[in-house]
Amino acid sequence: MDTFLAALFSGTSRGAIYALVALGLVIVWRGAGVVNFAQMGQAMFSTYIASTLIQNGNSYWVGFFVALFAGAALGALLDVLVMRPLSNKKKTELLSSESMRAAIPVIASLGILGVLQALAGIIWAAEERGFPAPAAQEGFTVAGSVMPFTSFDVFVISIVLITLTMTTIFFKKTGVGLAMRATALNQEVARLSGIRTNFTRTLSWAISGAASSLAGLLITPTSNLSPNTLDLVLIIGFTAAVVGGLDSPAGAVLGGFIVGLVISFVTFYLSPEDVFISILAVLLIVLIVKPRGILGGKDSRRV
Amino acid sequence: MERIHVVSSAAKNPSIIRRSFRRTIFFIIAILAIGSTFEPYNQAQLAVVLIYFIGVLSVTILTGISGQISLGQGALMAVGGYTTALLMTNYSISLWIAVPASIVGAGIAGALLGIAAARLSGPYLAGTTLVIALAIPTIANRFMSVFKGDEGLPVDVGYPPSWFTSLFGEPTYEEWQLYVVLPFAAIALFFASNLLLSRTGRMWKSIRDHETAAALAGVNYSRQKIYVFIIASIFAGLAGALYGLRGLVGPSVYPVALSLTLLTAAVLGGIRSIFGAFIGTVIVVFLPDWIDLVLDNFELSEQVSNFMPALISSLLLILTVVINPAGVAGGHHHKHK
Repeated sequence: MDTFLAALFSGTSRGAIYALVALGLVIVWRGAGVVNFAQMGQAMFSTYIASTLIQNGNSYWVGFFVALFAGAALGALLDVLVMRPLSNKKKTELLSSESMRAAIPVIASLGILGVLQALAGIIWAAEERGFPAPAAQEGFTVAGSVMPFTSFDVFVISIVLITLTMTTIFFKKTGVGLAMRATALNQEVARLSGIRTNFTRTLSWAISGAASSLAGLLITPTSNLSPNTLDLVLIIGFTAAVVGGLDSPAGAVLGGFIVGLVISFVTFYLSPEDVFISILAVLLIVLIVKPRGILGGKDSRRV
Repeated sequence: MERIHVVSSAAKNPSIIRRSFRRTIFFIIAILAIGSTFEPYNQAQLAVVLIYFIGVLSVTILTGISGQISLGQGALMAVGGYTTALLMTNYSISLWIAVPASIVGAGIAGALLGIAAARLSGPYLAGTTLVIALAIPTIANRFMSVFKGDEGLPVDVGYPPSWFTSLFGEPTYEEWQLYVVLPFAAIALFFASNLLLSRTGRMWKSIRDHETAAALAGVNYSRQKIYVFIIASIFAGLAGALYGLRGLVGPSVYPVALSLTLLTAAVLGGIRSIFGAFIGTVIVVFLPDWIDLVLDNFELSEQVSNFMPALISSLLLILTVVINPAGVAGGHHHKHK
C-alpha cells in the first residue's frame, strides 16, 4: 500500500510537469505547425540563467521570474530568426511536398537544440549542478510516519494547475487567444480576417517557451542540471502530447498525467531501466489504436 | 520481394546499371588513391567516412527519396552491430559472413518498424523514431547475459588473410580497416544508385511528393513505405555492423547523437543526392579536425574547444535549412521551377 501511494503521488507530481511540457509542444504545434524538438533545450538554457542568478546571491524568485521571461524571449527570438524565414520561404522544388514541409522544421529545431546545448556547455561547462527548490523536499509526517508527499510536490502541482487555468482562460476569453485559435484552425482564413498571423505565431512560441521554462525550473530540483538532462523530459513530454492528442491542450494535460503515472508505477513496481521501453509501448499502443490521441480531432486528407 | 523488383526493373534498362557501375568504379579508385596518400589517422577517419556514408544513404533513401523522417537510424545501426558481434563472438563466424548476415537482422527490425511507421507522418514519425532510438539501446542492459550491458561486446576487423599480405604486402591496422569497409561501401553505393534511378525510386518519390496523388496513380503507398523502411534499415544495419568492428559493440557506441549526426550529414550535403550524402559525411567526420586546426591559433580553454564542433555543425544545419535546404550538392534542383 505504501509503494502504491508513493507511486501515485510521485506520478501525479511528475505528471503535472510533463503536462506543462506537453502543453508547450501543443501550443507551438497548433500555432505554428511545428513540433519543437528544441523546446527543452530552451528550458535548459533559461534554467541555467536562473541558476546563475541564484548562485550570485539573488533570491529564488528573481531567478524564477527572469527565467520565465528569458524562456518567452528565447522562444520568440527563435521563431523570428529561424522558423519564420523557413515558413515564408518561396516554395522550391524541395519544399513543394507536404512531407518535406513537415520534415524541414523538425530538422531546424534539432539544429537549434544542438546550438543551445553547445552554447550552454561553452558558457556553463558540462558538469551537473544542483538547482534549488523553493519548498522542502522532505515528506510530510502524518501520525508518526513519513508520507511520500513533500511540500515541494504541493508547490509543483498547485503552480501547474494555476498555469493551466490561466492558459485556458487566455485561449477562451481574450481576443488574442481567440486570434491564436483562429490561426491554428486555418492560417489563410485568419489572415484574410485581419489577424496578424506572424504575430500570433511568435506569441505561441513565446508562451510555449515560458511554459517549458517553468517545467525546467520545476523538474531540475529533483534531476540536477546539465546541458543534456532535459532531453529525456522532452521525449516524455512528446509522448504525453501524442497520447492526449497533439491538437488538444486539454489532451496534453491528460496525457501528461497518464504518462507520469505510467512511468512512476513502472519505476516503483518493475525497474527504472524499463521506463523507456514502457514509454515506447504506450506511444505505439496509442498510435495504433487512436493515432490522433485520446482527445485529438479527426484525421482528414485533401486531394 | 522488393529487392528482386528493384533488380528486375533496372535490368530492363541496362543504361541504369551501367551508370551505377561507372559511379561505383570511380568511387573505389578515388578512395584507394586518396587513402594511399593519407597518414594512418586519416585512413581510419576515411574508414569512418565510408561507414557513415552507408548510414547516411539510409537517411537519403528514407527522408530524401520517400519523405519519411527518422531520428532512429542509430537504433537500426545498433541492431546490425549486435547481430554481427553476437555471430562473431558466440559462433566465431568470419566477419565476411557475419556482416552480410547482420543485414537480415536489421531488415527484420526495419520491417517491424516500418509496419508501425507506415501509419505515421512528419513530426509523429520523428518523435516515435526518437523514442525508439532511446529505448532500443536500453535492451542491452535488460538482457545482460546475452548483450553484456554497458560493457558491450568487443569485436574488430582482425588481420588480413595470408593471400592478401603476399599479394599487397602487410597493411597497417588502419589501412586494413579501410580495405574491409570499402567493398561494403561500394556495394551500398551501387545499390543505392540503381535504386534512385529505377522505377522503384520514382515510385517512392511520388509518395514523398503527394501520397494521395500517388495512390490515385496506382501506388500502394502503405506497402511501399514499409519496403522503404526495410531497405533503409538494411543500409543502416550494414553501417552499424561495420561501425562496431572498429572495436566495440555496446549501448555507448550507438547513442541518439549518432542518429542526429547521420541526419545532419544528409541535410548538409543534400538530402536528395548520393553525391550529397558523401559530401555531407566528409564534412561531418572531418569538421572536428578542421576546427582544431583553426582553434590551435587561438588560446581557448578546453571548455570552449570541446563544444565547438557541435556548435558549428548545428549552426551549419540551421543555416542550410534556412538558406539552402537542398544542401551543398542540391543546388541544381531549383532550376526546375
